[in-house]
Amino acid sequence: MPEFSTETEQRSTGEARAGRSRGTDYSRRVFASVFDMLPNEDNPSPMVRINRLNPNANFQLFAKLEWLNPFGSVKDRAAWAMLRDLLERGEVGNGRGLVEPTSGNTGISLAAMAQAMGLRMRAVVPNKVPLEKKVLLKIVGAELDVLNDALCPAPGLGDGSINLAKTHAKASPHRYVMPNQYENPKNVEAHLHTTGPEIWRQTEGRVTHVFASLGTCGTVTGVSRFLRSKNPNIKVIAVQPSEGHDVPGLRNISQLDVSKLFDRSCIDEILEIDYELAYRRALDLCRAEGLIAGPSSGLILEGALRTVAQAGAGCGVMIFPDNIFKYVSSMIKHLPQLASETEA
Amino acid sequence: MSNTYAHPEVLVSTDWVKENLNNPNLRLVEIDVDTKAYDAGHIPGAIGFNWQTQLQDQVGRDIISQAEFEKLCSDSGISPEHTVICYGDNNNWFAAYGFWVFKVYGHRDVRLMNGGRVKWLNESDKPLTTDKPQWPAVTYRSPGVDASLRALLPEVMAAVSSGKYNLVDVRSPDEFTGKVIAPPGMSETAQRGGHIPGAKNVPWSTAVNPDGTFKSPDELRSIYLEQKGVDPKKDTIAYCRIGERSSHTWFVLKYLLGLNNVKNYDGSWTEYGNLVGAPIEKP
Ligand SMILES: Cc1ncc(COP(=O)(O)O)c(C=O)c1O
Repeated sequence: MPEFSTETEQRSTGEARAGRSRGTDYSRRVFASVFDMLPNEDNPSPMVRINRLNPNANFQLFAKLEWLNPFGSVKDRAAWAMLRDLLERGEVGNGRGLVEPTSGNTGISLAAMAQAMGLRMRAVVPNKVPLEKKVLLKIVGAELDVLNDALCPAPGLGDGSINLAKTHAKASPHRYVMPNQYENPKNVEAHLHTTGPEIWRQTEGRVTHVFASLGTCGTVTGVSRFLRSKNPNIKVIAVQPSEGHDVPGLRNISQLDVSKLFDRSCIDEILEIDYELAYRRALDLCRAEGLIAGPSSGLILEGALRTVAQAGAGCGVMIFPDNIFKYVSSMIKHLPQLASETEA
Repeated sequence: MSNTYAHPEVLVSTDWVKENLNNPNLRLVEIDVDTKAYDAGHIPGAIGFNWQTQLQDQVGRDIISQAEFEKLCSDSGISPEHTVICYGDNNNWFAAYGFWVFKVYGHRDVRLMNGGRVKWLNESDKPLTTDKPQWPAVTYRSPGVDASLRALLPEVMAAVSSGKYNLVDVRSPDEFTGKVIAPPGMSETAQRGGHIPGAKNVPWSTAVNPDGTFKSPDELRSIYLEQKGVDPKKDTIAYCRIGERSSHTWFVLKYLLGLNNVKNYDGSWTEYGNLVGAPIEKP
């Protein structure tokens, strides 16, 4: 049987580079390895227009669907950039793998990538992370540490999962290196080099507003720096859940001091939104738009709708971090009626 | 007023511990609520104690008995002559509780490592290991219980009715006012919210800097004595929810500020807030 040529192979030939117009390089979507599926300007994650939920006919609103990345979330980008950097610097291999504090998505991306390269990966997660993500981490082969973070250490000390991951890296350096998504500049660079350029090209430079959430802040900082370098008038709007929230992956401003990548100057406005709306808007997205988006996307949608309702004309892009499949237990907790009539 | 703690010898720095790692007169003890931290990595030579299972009686609600304490020290290779350095997770809350238990059973020289495990962890020159020490077992004899360090319920009730004590409630403002009974996610709670009548709310974290070390003597004096009105001429009882955060403040009041008669009420709100008929203040 003749072998298919893969996208990577085609791209590397001069013919492919010269003969193909922009955006069609990946048209057949045949890849040599899962790593070649990772997003970049030539292989962007899709953008879909919001049609029924958008109240402003003059404002085009798009959702950028990050769950269509190969390991299921926006964190594929940061994970890949950090791992590639460690590989290039010879920091992993010979029994040395990764340890990382994560609310789930970074861990899932890193663990799947590490396993595909034969590297170990230890994920340190707070107990409040939904069960689905903990089990997914084990499915993709991560060693798992679950931490009771409810004790809330004093401000400034970092949280328990960050400190436990640091402990592993320091006490067992022959086994672990810690990428540290909260401080690693590669997390920002990932979005500077992929998400930002993708949005610029996908909107043909027409983007006026970007809507993102705040976790490590890699997304918002990287995207903002790239897009503002193209057009300083682009508005970058971040959403944060109200205090006491349990929206996985996100941080309220009061919890942001551990995110060394948070740069307030990259953000025009931070909207605080009742965290219950994260769950309700996720449901709206599924039911009204057919978009199977998770709770952080729900929060972003709410922030975008508030902005769009008051704006004139424009073109907005919401970066939807992941999909709803990992949040069945969270959805039931916040919307208990979803669990009714689920048994015969 | 000089800018020194009243009993500076009970507090050691991470640098001091590093310089003394090979000092045979020392025993380091890491005391955690979640011993995953100790297992993942601890200071070389440090023994690990689990606050819940090793420092508390496993049947009745109490600290471990004198015999259990003696056995724990004996098996761990701690003799009465050792200088014991406690440190731990969660800002030394549980290390302070351990320090208190050592003092209750009359250990002569016990100290706290300022800043706890997080400070050590974040200093690049401080090593961690997963190797567990094998100190030779010894025979530990406690000189007996120092009851002056511990407040039991009758004394707390007397304090409420006499008004002659400083009652220091070190919980968060929301626990103090009764808006919540316990911080979210905590399993130990009470039937009622609020605080012991006459108590002053000085959350434990008031005593520490952002890096987890204790504030300076002048700052501590200004906060507790001037701003919060703790009267140094009175006896003092510190309490929280289960007695671990209050050990931290007990340490501050007794050793750093040098107040005369300071007791830790380890029954704390999970005892008091469950009592039938006890007076409660709830604004
Ligand atoms: C579900 C989810 N939403 C949003 C975010 C936030 O992205 P970032 O860390 O780039 O700020 C994360 C990642 O931490 C996430 O897992």
